[in-house]
Amino acid sequence: MGDKSTPLLAVLQLLRKYNLKGTEDILRKEANLGDVEYENLDLPEVELANILTAHHTESDPYSYEFAYDSLKKFVENSLDVYKYELSTLLYPVFVHMYLILILYDHNEHAIKILEKFGPEQDEYYQDDLKRLCAVKNKDQVKGNELAEIYSSNKFQVQLSRDASTQLKRYLHEQKSSPIIINIIKNHIQIDVCDGPGRSHAQVKSTLGGLLGEASRNENRTKVYYGLLKEPDLQILPAQIEDEEEAEETPDKPKKKKAKKDNIFMKKPKSDPNAPPNDRIPLPDLKENDKVEKGKALREAAKRVQLGPECLPSICFYTLLNSGHTAICADICDDSTLLAVGFNNSTIKVWTLTTVRLRGMKSADKLQDIDREAGDVLVRMMEEKDRETCRTLFGHSGPVYKVSFDPFKTMLLSCSEDSTIRLWSLQCWTCIVVYRGHVWPVWDTRWSPHGHYFASGGHDRIARLWATDHHQPLRIFAGHLSDIDCIQFHPNSNYIATGSSDRTVRLWDCLTGTQVRIMTGHRSTPFTLAFSACGRWLASGGGAGEIQIWDLSSGLPSAAIPPASNSPIHALAFSRDGTILASGSLDSTIKLWDFAIISDENINEENGNAAPTQKEDKFLLRSYATKNSPIKSLHFTRRNLLLAVGSYDGSV
Amino acid sequence: MSDSELGYGSSFTVDSVKVIAESVGIGNLVDDAAKELADDVSYRLKIIVQDAMKFMQHSKRQKLSITDIDHALKVQNIEPQYGFIQPDSLPFRFASGGGRELHFIEEKDIDLSEILSAPPPKIPLDVSLRAHWLSVDGVQPTVPENPPPLSKEAQKLESVDPITKLSKPANKDAAGKPVCGKAARLKASESVHVKQLATHELSVEQQLYYKEITEACVGSDEGRRAEALQSLACDPGLHEMLPRMCTFISEGVKVNVVQNNLALLIYLMRMVKAMLDNQSLYLEKYLHELIPSVSTCIVARQLCMRPEVDNHWALRDFAARLMAQICKTFNTSTNNLQTRVTRLFSKALQCPSQTNNESGPSMVPSMKESEKTPLASLYGAVQGLAELGPEVVKVFILSRVRWLGERVEGALSGIGGADRLAAGNLKHQLLKVLAPVVRAHRQPPDLPDDYKREYGYLGPSLQQMVSKLRSSPTGGNAGGAVAVVTCTPPLLPSPSPAPGPSLAPAPAPAPSPSPASVTIQHTSQAHAKTIESVASRNVVITSSAPQSPAPSTPPPQKFVIVSSQQKNQTQPASSAGHIVMHSSQPTIVRSQNSVVVTSGPAGAAPPQKVVVVGVPPPAHQPHQPHQPHQPTAGVSQAPVSVVAKPVFARSGSAQQPPPELDDLSHLA
Repeated sequence: MGDKSTPLLAVLQLLRKYNLKGTEDILRKEANLGDVEYENLDLPEVELANILTAHHTESDPYSYEFAYDSLKKFVENSLDVYKYELSTLLYPVFVHMYLILILYDHNEHAIKILEKFGPEQDEYYQDDLKRLCAVKNKDQVKGNELAEIYSSNKFQVQLSRDASTQLKRYLHEQKSSPIIINIIKNHIQIDVCDGPGRSHAQVKSTLGGLLGEASRNENRTKVYYGLLKEPDLQILPAQIEDEEEAEETPDKPKKKKAKKDNIFMKKPKSDPNAPPNDRIPLPDLKENDKVEKGKALREAAKRVQLGPECLPSICFYTLLNSGHTAICADICDDSTLLAVGFNNSTIKVWTLTTVRLRGMKSADKLQDIDREAGDVLVRMMEEKDRETCRTLFGHSGPVYKVSFDPFKTMLLSCSEDSTIRLWSLQCWTCIVVYRGHVWPVWDTRWSPHGHYFASGGHDRIARLWATDHHQPLRIFAGHLSDIDCIQFHPNSNYIATGSSDRTVRLWDCLTGTQVRIMTGHRSTPFTLAFSACGRWLASGGGAGEIQIWDLSSGLPSAAIPPASNSPIHALAFSRDGTILASGSLDSTIKLWDFAIISDENINEENGNAAPTQKEDKFLLRSYATKNSPIKSLHFTRRNLLLAVGSYDGSV
Repeated sequence: MSDSELGYGSSFTVDSVKVIAESVGIGNLVDDAAKELADDVSYRLKIIVQDAMKFMQHSKRQKLSITDIDHALKVQNIEPQYGFIQPDSLPFRFASGGGRELHFIEEKDIDLSEILSAPPPKIPLDVSLRAHWLSVDGVQPTVPENPPPLSKEAQKLESVDPITKLSKPANKDAAGKPVCGKAARLKASESVHVKQLATHELSVEQQLYYKEITEACVGSDEGRRAEALQSLACDPGLHEMLPRMCTFISEGVKVNVVQNNLALLIYLMRMVKAMLDNQSLYLEKYLHELIPSVSTCIVARQLCMRPEVDNHWALRDFAARLMAQICKTFNTSTNNLQTRVTRLFSKALQCPSQTNNESGPSMVPSMKESEKTPLASLYGAVQGLAELGPEVVKVFILSRVRWLGERVEGALSGIGGADRLAAGNLKHQLLKVLAPVVRAHRQPPDLPDDYKREYGYLGPSLQQMVSKLRSSPTGGNAGGAVAVVTCTPPLLPSPSPAPGPSLAPAPAPAPSPSPASVTIQHTSQAHAKTIESVASRNVVITSSAPQSPAPSTPPPQKFVIVSSQQKNQTQPASSAGHIVMHSSQPTIVRSQNSVVVTSGPAGAAPPQKVVVVGVPPPAHQPHQPHQPHQPTAGVSQAPVSVVAKPVFARSGSAQQPPPELDDLSHLA
């Protein structure tokens, strides 16, 4: 065997790819290839291209520069209607020219073309170019992450029908130089859609993905973004009443009752956009959880209505003496516990109220407890424990995310050691280690209904888990780069992921398919947040910008440009969905008027939603902290904003 | 070309690779091989750094650390480089020269035996949680946990270019500014956009605060005053009240100088001190009000009702120190502050023959009817110049020492009691200030005759002093507490010209106040510089201590903080230390009668010694002021340096009640 037969194998693979059976058989016979090699036909795409291009009529390296220049002129000279759409072609053509030149060993020409045309590419591509320019010869292309992404996927470009006709005509004229035609044929997927050409702003709003825009066809599936009906309402009110009567002086029970009824009645009878309640199986609520839910509803009744006139109070928790060691933080839903994940693999849990962190009694003491007793859950806890802070040891790498389950009995954490751990907040020990991810796990989140959780990491795959299975229930593959953030939809039917390929995708938990792919981020999204109503998704990027997506269409509905270059690592919607809070590494918390953002979008829906740039109108307030980058934001049930940051004295 | 080179990355040069190769023992690396290696290494390094960036971002940092690189290596299945640990980000140093720019890591040789013998390092503090209100109903409260509403830079900009405040749109970043009711309503309705003027309107809360603070600062309750001063020195949101505060001070000084109300002048100076200490205030705009006030308190002819009894010297010392602090903080090449202040003081020292045709600055009380600058003003001017440093002393005081000596001599031999006392103080001060300077500028053979010839009347005493200084070890390692004693000037007025040691509050170590025998006792190992630094530390402590004892409370306690530091340069560090100590005061003080605490403040500042003395209550104030002939401390309540006395009083004269710090209300 050896090198000699590799081109043959490549040809065979190509034949198989195009399903040319007869030719394939003959060639196989003639080349006298054994079955073993034949079965193992699995050359990497890059290699294949490499081998096949060697047999290409090698084109003149000097012509590339000329060809790109001519394409650029064509774009610039075309009518404004097509200009902006056509200009999206320039970047992919440019990148592939560079890669092809490298593959053909014209390294000097490649560098020359990069230096000449690189700086004029859009700014959000510059980071990619900087990463790509590390690739300086043929061998490096093979192992390079980015180069492989480019060569093994097609870059998506959306053109209106007229624009694509223009392009075809131009390409026809250029027949003598096949460079651009080849690139477009091999590496660019042109998505032709009907309708008029888009304006500059429209084109810009969806640009920025690693591989261009999302094609519209991918976002056609209906997304049930409505909220689930609360299934347990029938049982709850009675229970709450009992409880209330027990603990509160029955001064004005009548009023209370009326108010409560009101909350329960307020829920819409049936939201047309809501999925059926049994679309994915949700666990039955335990007695304890119901009590917890009841409390939540009662708290919610006391909620402050927020708006531009009535801004929330912010309570800021500063982590002192933490320096750079604190990484992530989470506050549980009822705002009583705070967990912080550290660089040194530990997790610390603080209580934010006067309730101490009690552990469970020892096994022999537990045996004495009457298991039928109503207050068994209270009795099993050790009364002597007075801790206000507990440390959880177990991980062997930095802890990148901690997350409380909705009923605050468990805590999830994910770490650089590629595991996800489930901790009990009763025993204060690790219960389960979920293995499955290969590389560091960047983010993990609970489903709002408990039981399920999702995770995503460096291995580009998002996984859906259930606490009682040690293997993932679903695997969501499709992202081209790290999954940096993940978030459950409030109705638990969908999972949103944000990735370093600068796309945000929405996955259906039931089918495991991708239902939305949203492009328009100019930098890696690091945090995601669903609005309270479930329709909007906010994502905060590494360059400080915030994007608001409309899940019904999958289009960006607003883009808030960055105030500074610091990445946004925390986003939170107020419980009534009127205010969006963002926390950034530049130690500021900003409040945005989400009512205006969503209103505007609904109004503009008819006029083919154009993203709004009136960020001044959206910004309500900005609060600076004392050198404390924001790690986490959380709205309590009464709409008090809690923020966590670690004081950085060195700045 | 160079632009794009910057944009699209650099790579190792062949030379670097060769140097590295040599360092590992490969002497003859071929160019081609080096080139090949350089390319490959650059590529690999770039990939690793790109991956490490990911880890940095997910650790929510903006600085790459060594662990990020380790993790990136791990992801690539490469063994991490063990042994490189840095708690923080990489401390790159920058150097340029010879047309090259270099970034490097400073690596020092570490002596292992030193580490082994050193005491184990302190355990780092555990992570702790602290909650505060970042915003209450949308308004950011100005508490110390929040950043100041207007940063110092912004205040500076505003003082340089007030237009910026007007031209800036009502920005939402200034969220911390408490919007007063009317403005808030206007903003809410947004009916008309009236162009905002740069108002200096204070909210109701601010007006209340202003009233409270000013009343407390000049009131009679020492406890409240301490709290008020603490607030002035620490609160971040005071800049809007600054104009009023400064006017209050300058008007107060004007009135009280006329009325000779020493106590109030002291209080006002302490306000100035507190405001200077406030890290978030930018005072430059208000110097035109503060400097005349402060300089008045230094050189005014008369600051108190009874110059022969009251201790106005301490006020002059204190104000002089303030002036030095102002000069140090605000002197720039454009305002020439220090030059102007120096000129002001030196004019006061001008001998009459030179100044006959020159009129002194307005605040220096012009010539007495006997065409002489009063001795008290001379004292102030000397003190003011001395605080500005030895070089100033050399140029402006040393050259006039002959004339000053004549004045002192004349006054001492005269009859006026007050004049005699003033002359004594002036002489002591001159000697103290001049001795170190003379020591530095003269070669050892100190002959009394030379001194006499050169410096006139003061020559012999100066000679004694200098030779004493020379014989004693350098002042740096002097025991701090001892230094405090020696720096206490003979402030006590002495009705009889030959007071025995029994008249001094601290008999043994204190220098005798006798004008005839002014010499620093042998305990004075301390360099004058140390003395000053120590003394100024005392001021910091005592003036900002939140719970200084009120006159009528049980045992008055005194806190003396002494450090063995040579120069008074680490003010911020030491003041940080103070805050820590304050918090622990109550427990220490109340439990024991006399405690000595040695504590090292966090950080690298040298250890400071806290001496806390509880004094038994019986002998107390009320009768003191009426016994001017008794040399008890009550008569001369030095607001500043007297603090040190009680420490030593415990040995000899425990029955003498220590002077109440700054409680001069009975003098008013």
